[in-house]
Amino acid sequence: MAPTLCAICQIARALIIRPKNHQKLCRECFISIFEAEIHHTITSTSLFSRGDRIAIGASGGKDSTVLASVLKTLNERYDYGLDLVLLSIDEGIKGYRDDSLETVKRNAVQYDMPLKIVGYDELYGWTMDQVVEVIGKKGNCTYCGVFRRQALDRGAKMLGINHVVTGHNADDIAETILMNLLRGDLPRLARSTSIVTGDSASDVRRSKPLKYAYEKEIVLYAHHKKLDYFTTECLYSPEAFRGSARSLIKNLERVRPSAILDVVRSGEDMAKLVPEEVTGISQCKSQKVSLSSADGEREGAGGCGSSNGRNSGGEMADMEKKLQQDEEAASREIDVSSLASSTAHIHPPEKKGHDPKTGKTGRKDAGRKLVKQTLGSCKKCGYMSSQEVCKACTLLEGLNKNRPQMEIETDVEDNESSTLRRRMGGVALAAG
Amino acid sequence: MSGDIEGQQNGNTALCQRCHEEAATHQIRSDGICTKCFVAYVTTKAIKRMETYKIRGTTKTARRLLFPLSFGPSSASLLHILDQHIQGQYLRMNRASYELVVVHINLYVDPVDRKDADLLLEKYKSRFPRHTYSTLNLEDALTLEGIDWKALKMEEPLNTQNPADKLQALLGSMSSATSRSDIVSTLLTRLLVDVAKKSECESILFGDSTSRLAEKTLTETAKGRGFSLPWQVSDGALSYGIAFNYPLRDLLKKEIQTFSSLTTPPLTDLVINPKSSSHISASSKTTTIDDLMAQYFETVEENFPSIVANVVRTTSKLKSLPDEDTTSCGLCGLPVAKGTDGIYGWGGDQNTSSQPTEEKLHHGILCYGCSRSINS
Ligand SMILES: [Zn+2]
Ligand SMILES: [Zn+2]
Ligand SMILES: [Zn+2]
Ligand SMILES: [Zn+2]
Repeated sequence: MAPTLCAICQIARALIIRPKNHQKLCRECFISIFEAEIHHTITSTSLFSRGDRIAIGASGGKDSTVLASVLKTLNERYDYGLDLVLLSIDEGIKGYRDDSLETVKRNAVQYDMPLKIVGYDELYGWTMDQVVEVIGKKGNCTYCGVFRRQALDRGAKMLGINHVVTGHNADDIAETILMNLLRGDLPRLARSTSIVTGDSASDVRRSKPLKYAYEKEIVLYAHHKKLDYFTTECLYSPEAFRGSARSLIKNLERVRPSAILDVVRSGEDMAKLVPEEVTGISQCKSQKVSLSSADGEREGAGGCGSSNGRNSGGEMADMEKKLQQDEEAASREIDVSSLASSTAHIHPPEKKGHDPKTGKTGRKDAGRKLVKQTLGSCKKCGYMSSQEVCKACTLLEGLNKNRPQMEIETDVEDNESSTLRRRMGGVALAAG
Repeated sequence: MSGDIEGQQNGNTALCQRCHEEAATHQIRSDGICTKCFVAYVTTKAIKRMETYKIRGTTKTARRLLFPLSFGPSSASLLHILDQHIQGQYLRMNRASYELVVVHINLYVDPVDRKDADLLLEKYKSRFPRHTYSTLNLEDALTLEGIDWKALKMEEPLNTQNPADKLQALLGSMSSATSRSDIVSTLLTRLLVDVAKKSECESILFGDSTSRLAEKTLTETAKGRGFSLPWQVSDGALSYGIAFNYPLRDLLKKEIQTFSSLTTPPLTDLVINPKSSSHISASSKTTTIDDLMAQYFETVEENFPSIVANVVRTTSKLKSLPDEDTTSCGLCGLPVAKGTDGIYGWGGDQNTSSQPTEEKLHHGILCYGCSRSINS
């Protein structure tokens, strides 16, 4: 049987079945179409301007390594005029980042890019190991999660850079969309598909140039370009909603390869259908910009194995319980209101709000009012927050109160990080 | 959660927590309740959703509502409930506020299947004789106005051609089981809307449970039809000038299934139960996205029924976009905003070589979801 020829160049032998659409391609055509699509994402969304300094959030993993490599290639090929910097975060967990930071250091040489490694101690005055000493192993997941969410932004700010790009891919975005549907979280659903988060008011913008790139294609690209990346099993065993959404995405992709892209498309379309009173975003503002990046996104491999000691399904069970309580409360409210209406002649009738924009008469839905999210910034650090003082600053305040206690050095072996080290077995993702 | 309470310990039967008279045989959330109260619970939930159609003032004419009957447990149960509701109205007021126009759509082209459907429909007629009944075939959708044959890359069916063959050809050209089932349900909806208009019905009553609507939310999202959710999940949303209502939307699939066996007489011999989704495997060629989601929500419903209901409640808050600057999709007929049609030329597909710019001009408009099923 004659070898199949590449569907694009019709000359070379097809070696790759493209995960996105099952097109049979040669190596060169795959690499060039992968790059061309990311170039298109960048140009069609006007992601960068000439002269921009861009920090690439680099963990040494496949996504951020591919992002760095592609951005370097495109920056040279199309003369974007960008000043690219690798930015890595060191949580300060003994041993945990060693291998991945070594990878990032090699990448810096390979791509001839400056690298800045910022430690939690520089950012927060505390390493994770120190936090664990004070808090104990139990509650530290909260700290790790909250700190990690802000770390890249704070790190970029330290470098005087106002744009961070991260390696989030199409699978991550599709997963987040399904997760927010399952959680019934419309504000986050509305934000989750934006390629850029953070607006002109915030110090640091974040964007996801790999937004439309399939995880499987990222792995293929890294493989065929022989990129040097650090393969690690994601330590974060995901919380129940995300885990549930993730396995759905994998199954959907198997049944219909375009499904990942189709979910992303649906998410973009649905974001426009989320009522303004839910998002707090005016529809007249650009759809592409949303207010916050603090959406609990997957931020690469986690540092603390957040699900340790948690039974799986915990989040779902918690939510189920809360919803059931709400339902009971709502059914009681209905009883009360029907009582009230029977004595309506005594009380003045409840005023019905009229929304001049929609022309609809607002009706109070017992116990299920939409939560409006107002996002401002933290009084202390300026990071975007719905509270006056952001979570990180609140946690830091608590930690700093305990500072003297911490000075009594303990010799207890740090079980947490040694467990992590053991779990960092290099399990390679199957290519293709 | 509902279901039978099995194996009461030492014959010490617990009493129903609602009426405190009968033995508790079923469960709603944490309450054990008797069969009578369970049936009343399901009935009340459904009737409450029919309040839009209650008797008002002195109007004598009953409102006409289209009732698609699939023979599944949900539509059978809903028909039973509404039949009794109408009967109750007659007993109290000697008139009914609405009447049902029942229609069954044949999805199978095989004459043997169609014969079975006819026989079953006869059983319904004798059990619920006060309604009007009719049967249509799915291929009848192919002769509807507004189907854009060029967009479907097909020639308009000739009068001489057997429409069933044409349908077979259309479905046969689809590359995946998901695309086939997607096109079937799209054609089905369009056909129902057409029947509703022709028989002067103001709305269509679908038997979807909350579990089914949650399934649909994620299925449509996964098929790139997220834009269409306001029409597919919200109660009373107008599509094509016809309102879509879901009277069973506050009930779980399992509750309805239980209900269908508890009516007197039971609906068992009228119901074709869907095959269980437990055997579905994502690696099979015949598995569809719809199958995966049905299977997924079966498990979620079991453990987290309120989460299922919450998905539907949340999705219902999505509002459809204002109708400006839209064109109707040549297949599903839903409004497509300018420049958002097709699967090519958006953020996620900028592959210039795959973009049929020239062809597009005379190829008509398809929405993203329809275009996905037709083109890949
Ligand atoms: Zn080639
Ligand atoms: Zn702060
Ligand atoms: Zn009872
Ligand atoms: Zn369509």
